[in-house]
Amino acid sequence: MMRSSVSILLIHFYLIIVTFFATGVSLVAGDDKQEELVVETDALKFRLVPRTPAQMAAFYEGRGFPGAALKEVKKTCFMTAVIRNKSQTVIWLEPERWRFLTDKGELQRLDRSYWRSKWRQLNIPQAKRSTFGWTLLPETRDLRPDEPVGGNIVLPLTDQPFSLEARFATGSDKRGKEIIVRFDTLRCPQDPIQP
Amino acid sequence: MNATSRLILIIVSMLLLSGTHTKAGPLPQGLIALDGRAAPALTLSDMDGRSFDLKDSRGHWVFVHFWASWCGPCRREMPTIQRLAAAMENTALEIVLVNTAETDDEVFTFLGIVAPDLESLMDRDGLVTERWQPRGLPSSFLVDPAGRLRYVALGGRVWDSPDYVAFLRRLATP
Repeated sequence: MMRSSVSILLIHFYLIIVTFFATGVSLVAGDDKQEELVVETDALKFRLVPRTPAQMAAFYEGRGFPGAALKEVKKTCFMTAVIRNKSQTVIWLEPERWRFLTDKGELQRLDRSYWRSKWRQLNIPQAKRSTFGWTLLPETRDLRPDEPVGGNIVLPLTDQPFSLEARFATGSDKRGKEIIVRFDTLRCPQDPIQP
Repeated sequence: MNATSRLILIIVSMLLLSGTHTKAGPLPQGLIALDGRAAPALTLSDMDGRSFDLKDSRGHWVFVHFWASWCGPCRREMPTIQRLAAAMENTALEIVLVNTAETDDEVFTFLGIVAPDLESLMDRDGLVTERWQPRGLPSSFLVDPAGRLRYVALGGRVWDSPDYVAFLRRLATP
């Protein structure tokens, strides 16, 4: 018992655990209020912007995506993530190591392989597949000092609140101290009901 | 090996490993050196149907920039590339823009407003961009006179800032 407590303490010493209760900041762009969640540490700045289904569908519709693709987009929950490495070492972006948790269990991120197969099944034109791919957060990136990265993460649509625990390895060999960033009480925003 | 030779060897090794100094002087912030592998093929046409093949650009440095009108950093960066092009007008640096997977209308409207002096090649299905494996959009590569990838920029940059202009001028000077 004692030994396991000591082990846990040691693990905590090896990790930089950054747990923040993300604070909501309202950004106003015209009449459209967009909530932005920010976690900032000495090592990185992580911004998360939850998007409504209509916002995302409008974005892709404006770029000529076919109706079948827009229908799929509206069924999911998009969050735009923007991360900047503020440290002097490499920080590894690997969304595969992120966990989205509700009270009822884990939400499985809809990754590139999910979308590749979906777009193939719906016969979406190659140019649109390419554009969609570039709007997603990369699956892996060795973020260099001062390097930013941005893109969407996509989850199954849910009305349940959830948290995100994002783990980042550090150092070019990934042997540096791990960074853990946590966002609590996240939600998939819904579009306002039209009168 | 005596202590002095050992010290010289260590210093030389550190300089080589640091990668922050090049033949063109110090590497400006936001550029990283690549391993010099051959640049992927780049054969595309612009909106007027004029074709371009990177192979024909051997003998001088080429700035290859991938972009899309929907990307915020691309919008901020593009006017700085237009000013860079003006600053490098009488040098051997060739600036090549590649739009990723958009239509003529989208590109025409965007460039007309944001950087009217620039023209772009059209990667209509996005497959050329994927072969180059940029670290995201926007992304800029510097290809050396032998057709090798030498540097890549991290994210959007202010290309007309004195550091970049001076560095690129030194590269473009034989």
